[in-house]
Amino acid sequence: MSGSILSFIVGASSLFLAYYLAAVGHGLMEKSGILNLAIDGVFTLGVAIAFAVSVYTLSVPMAILATSIIAALFGLMLAFITTKLPISHGAAGLSTMFLGYGLAALVGLPAKVVENKRLISGSEGLAIIQPSLGYMWVWFYVAVFIVAVSIWYLIEKTKIGAAIRAAGENPASAEALGVNVLAVRLFASGVGYALIGIGAAIFELAYSPVWSQGKGMGYGWIAFAISLSAGRHPILTLVPAMIFAALEKFRFIIESTYNVPTDLGKMLPFVAAIAAMIIFMVTPLKRKLAPPKSLGKIYFREERTV
Amino acid sequence: MVIVRRVKPLPYWIIPIIALLAGIAVSMIILYILAGASPAAVFSAIAYGFTRPGVIAKIFIALTIVGIALLVSFKGSIWNIGGEGQITFGMMAAAWVALFTMLPYINPGLAQASMIILAMIAGGFWALLAALPRAYLGLDEVPVTLIMNYIAYYIVDLLVYGPWRGKSTYNYPRTDTIPSQAMFPQIPGTTMTWDGLFLLIITFIGVWYLLRNTSIGLRIKILGNNPNLLRSSGINVPLTIILALTISGLIAGSVGALYLGGDVYHIGYPIESQTANYGYTGILVAWLSMLELIAVPLAAYIVSALYEAGIKYQTLVGGNLGGMLASGTSAIVDIFIGSILLLYTILITFSEYKIKIIIER
Repeated sequence: MSGSILSFIVGASSLFLAYYLAAVGHGLMEKSGILNLAIDGVFTLGVAIAFAVSVYTLSVPMAILATSIIAALFGLMLAFITTKLPISHGAAGLSTMFLGYGLAALVGLPAKVVENKRLISGSEGLAIIQPSLGYMWVWFYVAVFIVAVSIWYLIEKTKIGAAIRAAGENPASAEALGVNVLAVRLFASGVGYALIGIGAAIFELAYSPVWSQGKGMGYGWIAFAISLSAGRHPILTLVPAMIFAALEKFRFIIESTYNVPTDLGKMLPFVAAIAAMIIFMVTPLKRKLAPPKSLGKIYFREERTV
Repeated sequence: MVIVRRVKPLPYWIIPIIALLAGIAVSMIILYILAGASPAAVFSAIAYGFTRPGVIAKIFIALTIVGIALLVSFKGSIWNIGGEGQITFGMMAAAWVALFTMLPYINPGLAQASMIILAMIAGGFWALLAALPRAYLGLDEVPVTLIMNYIAYYIVDLLVYGPWRGKSTYNYPRTDTIPSQAMFPQIPGTTMTWDGLFLLIITFIGVWYLLRNTSIGLRIKILGNNPNLLRSSGINVPLTIILALTISGLIAGSVGALYLGGDVYHIGYPIESQTANYGYTGILVAWLSMLELIAVPLAAYIVSALYEAGIKYQTLVGGNLGGMLASGTSAIVDIFIGSILLLYTILITFSEYKIKIIIER
């Protein structure tokens, strides 16, 4: 029994890690008050970048680094335009999502051409980087634990965390109390999107190291739903991330063993997210887990001075 | 650098046009750098899209109706991102009428009318589910409607994979093709259907009347501008929110019937990888129209021309990417839509504000 649980956990781990990092990054960004609808687009782009960089450099660290940096740039861009200008977070996020989808195809396809040529000429292609990931599972879990605790510590126990929460609840008051809302949101979004980028890179490199156009689409939204169903809490997020990673990874086994349609499993994260949002709104959990009060609200500093 | 409010806002049509031109320019640069596409080829594809009204008619009608649907809720500052789910639900209802009732064999006209009406009810119901927590719990409608798009996809997937799987599809997971009596008749020489054109006109006039001459329309507009006024004058605010979102869903749902009865004729599996994404593209249409009803068809024409241009471009110069750009998918369309919408979102600030550079001494 314990053996099957272990293989279960190890088997789901790369997807779990990808979901978890993306969901935590998303939660951190939204804690600062920026509605993040670009996650699926940037996740998809991140998957393509990780694939392209690993094809060109054959280096896992390079791929993860490049993906997280480019994703972080998107986060900084979103934080800057939504805080500095009086524009809709939803529109900024959705348009960035479209851009991410489109760019993903343009970044991934040329690398796919290179990879295919390699495979035809008898080389191992991307499979060559796989063994270096094999022994890393234990470290992945250590890394997840460190990320969970440190992000939780950052948000709940440090001054920066207090500033992030203040910027999410009431940016105008936070500003009056001496918080630099723009800086705080840039920080939260930059770090948040770097985590989303790492999640996307792990999704591509460790979970399924092949690529075709459109790969990763929809998984960003699952991370979004995971984050919401855990109330954006970095430690609570571990639970839905584990459950939904296992559901996705083992959906064919679950389907054949218990005769449950796969689409029901795919639907579950989204239903859970809405159920959790409603529960957090109507129960005492509201204090800790309800969305930040100013999430997605336009905050425009110049307006007050005019 | 400071941003100050303009004394007089710019005329409302300036920013959409600037955003459109700048967005196309940015797309050309992106395509040139990443795909080595010559701007001339992109330009010729765009010119193709803009000069083929008969070809883009189908997309144009769908996008106009979705744009009008979203406009109704956007007018009330209710951001309905769930058009996609409402369309999917509409498609499901229309498919039920066409495949599992005897109506098409009894009276084709009645069948097509009930496909559209049931699709509207299904879309409205799906929007209502998101409207209730928004109205009574204050739950933000943006993530809720967005998430519900995916729930709608998977509900339809469950049906199509299971009980609705076609008898004559060689066990391939998709529904049967709807009977020819339930197919909407095409207008010769175009890609649009009579039903679509009729629905477009009805929707346009209906919403125009709703927003201009009815108290519901007025309440929705006040909800968008000044919800406190609504509350203080004793009007039921939750009910107004529910109406705004549900009417929006009703109209969006009808596009599901159009898409099924006038375009694809069956529901494929999985639906999420085969949808035309009108629900998302419609957001761009509604935004570009500056929430002016009269400008919605114009915005829809522009967006559908770009849509067609993206598809055309893929067939023209897809070879630059090793000939592997999957046909029929929307990578190029996404680049166009993404860069135009993002630039528009940013630039819209400057219709009301201007940037002043102040050098501090």
